[in-house]
Amino acid sequence: MATLLEIRNLKKYFQTPKGVLHAVDGISFSLEPGKTMGIVGESGCGKSTLGRTVIRLIDSSGGQIIFENKDVTFVRGRELKALRQKMQIIFQDPFASLNPRFTVERTIREALMLTKRYSRPEAMDETERLMELVGIDQRLRNSYPHELDGGRRQRVVIARALATGPRFVVGDEPVSALDVSIQAQIINLLQDLQEAMDLTYIFITHDLSAVKHISDVIGVMYLGQMVEICPSNEIFRSPLHPYTKALLSAIPSIDIHHQQESVILEGEIVSPINPKPGCRFSARCRYSQAKCGEPQSLEEIATDHFVFCSRAREIND
Amino acid sequence: MQNGETQRGELLRIRDLVVEYTSEGETIHAVNGVSLELKKGKTLGLLGETGAGKTTIAKSVMRILPETTSKINSGEIYLNGKDVLLLSEKKMRAIRGKSASMIFQDPMTALDPVRRVGEQIEEVIRLHNNTGKNEAQQWAMEMLETVGIKADRAREYPHQFSGGMKQRVVIAIALACKPELLLADEPTTALDVTIQAQILRMIEKLKKELDMSMLLITHDLGVVASQCDDVAVIYAGEILESGSREDIYDHPTHPYTRGLFDALPDINKEVRRLTPITGRMIDPTDLPKGCYFQPRCAYAKKSCRHERREMAEISPGHHCRCTHFA
Ligand SMILES: Nc1ncnc2c1ncn2[C@@H]1O[C@H](COP(=O)(O)OP(=O)(O)O)[C@@H](O)[C@H]1O
Ligand SMILES: Nc1ncnc2c1ncn2[C@@H]1O[C@H](COP(=O)(O)OP(=O)(O)O)[C@@H](O)[C@H]1O
Ligand SMILES: [Mg+2]
Ligand SMILES: [Mg+2]
Repeated sequence: MATLLEIRNLKKYFQTPKGVLHAVDGISFSLEPGKTMGIVGESGCGKSTLGRTVIRLIDSSGGQIIFENKDVTFVRGRELKALRQKMQIIFQDPFASLNPRFTVERTIREALMLTKRYSRPEAMDETERLMELVGIDQRLRNSYPHELDGGRRQRVVIARALATGPRFVVGDEPVSALDVSIQAQIINLLQDLQEAMDLTYIFITHDLSAVKHISDVIGVMYLGQMVEICPSNEIFRSPLHPYTKALLSAIPSIDIHHQQESVILEGEIVSPINPKPGCRFSARCRYSQAKCGEPQSLEEIATDHFVFCSRAREIND
Repeated sequence: MQNGETQRGELLRIRDLVVEYTSEGETIHAVNGVSLELKKGKTLGLLGETGAGKTTIAKSVMRILPETTSKINSGEIYLNGKDVLLLSEKKMRAIRGKSASMIFQDPMTALDPVRRVGEQIEEVIRLHNNTGKNEAQQWAMEMLETVGIKADRAREYPHQFSGGMKQRVVIAIALACKPELLLADEPTTALDVTIQAQILRMIEKLKKELDMSMLLITHDLGVVASQCDDVAVIYAGEILESGSREDIYDHPTHPYTRGLFDALPDINKEVRRLTPITGRMIDPTDLPKGCYFQPRCAYAKKSCRHERREMAEISPGHHCRCTHFA
């Protein structure tokens, strides 16, 4: 199938007082239209930076972004503006991303007007349609963000993102701040919209059960690198990277009769400042050996299942 | 159970607690007649979503509710048989951090950003014990080691610690005087799962060593499953269902409890759509007459709109406010 988005060896480095921080460090993957790629990993591993770099909110330090068969890594001006309408992002905190002085109706209408595709009356109609689409009652059209609860605010943010007619949407922890009962509402909404509008998603989260549910493919990040990429139904069934295994085993199970002992990872994730060439997880990895000090590569260990670990074959035998 | 003091083997008993806040001239009915029992040495999970009243209950036990904007309207809170609501502030100060400690989701609510962490641990030790400076210092360093932090970091400031490490410091402060009761209010909600696993394992171990009892407040069904002996499910300031962990996980009975389980993505099943609980939490300034969950309940009958239901014992020790699935 055709590819909508292809990321090649993408890098984003930040200069910090302590050295160069490799927030995203040589990530490659591609994504077919209508599919969802889930990105998981602990805070600080570079998920948000990856999402922002991919949609050109921030400039990359290296690598390529190919969108709709076009290299968009360096597009500027009008082209970038056009790209922005096709690539949208939804953040975790809807309150922070909404203008507190704009009503629901104005928030959505202004986003529509920016596209220059609507006359004012058309924009009014389209606003109404979008509100309906994301499940916000028309009664709330004149409400301000502070008058809405978290779930409704996130619906407004989603409506605004859809106003530009995107093909590709990055959700950066879009349901993490919401209660379980509301989370499920928003996840269902995102899936319905995907189906109705043929959207392609990157869904960033630290919640592994949610990501498995919504994604077709899952990428696991550790300190700026993608350590495992696999079809989503394989992540729980047969995780191959030692970090993925540890991460999964740390999730407390709701099955009280099969409480597995979690693999307790010692230490904490640090920041990848001036990282050494070898495996970044090796300091916490129980399988660590001398060869882990050498650069790793992403290898296809099983069909469509890629692992960034030179010992992946031995330890999964 | 009858009114009155703590039963044998019980550390904490809350009876019919009612707490309100006032804000902008409105009354917020945060806790609406909650009763809970925590047995000695056990962990009781208080499970509920945002705004359910969980933190308010814990703060009521510690008597740290905001003075001017909150009011405990009625109820009793027996800790070791004494109603803490009747104690003077002076007596209460002797209890806080000594018999009962509380930890919060955000460690910075408990830490002073401009003081060394060692000093902050020493302070609580010296407040409750007749120890000299050196001894308290030694003790504080031991506490740091206990929570997995090298003693020489006692001289550092909170900002030099990561989120997980700050929470460890908070736990060191909370447990320094070996409390009987730990009120843990979403202690790992802000942490990554791998750090959560470290912290929960550590709390579990210390709980055993100190023979402590814990009220563990969380919205996470997995955390409750892995840590708790008993569970109380709270919604809109009211306990809807309570029982042993097995009662709640094997036989969830209240439509809300069942809804919580159903809303979670199940990692072992392929389902295309999740089953959310429809609607949203009721307005705590405007409580409905009937069942508080009724506006969101798929099984509501006409009577649910008008009649309040009492807790019914549906099997020994398993109580539920709704008998639809009982
Ligand atoms: N603007 C920035 N300047 C310097 N460092 C940054 C900046 N943005 C992010 N970082 C660092 O990059 C790393 C990855 O951060 P982020 O992408 O936010 O991770 P995640 O979303 O997975 O929590 C972290 O170490 C973070 O501190
Ligand atoms: N200081 C306060 N002033 C006014 N209302 C408050 C205050 N603290 C909590 N509330 C309200 O009381 C209710 C219960 O809150 P809380 O006990 O914090 O719930 P939980 O901890 O379960 O999220 C909520 O409606 C909340 O908005
Ligand atoms: Mg992030
Ligand atoms: Mg709370």
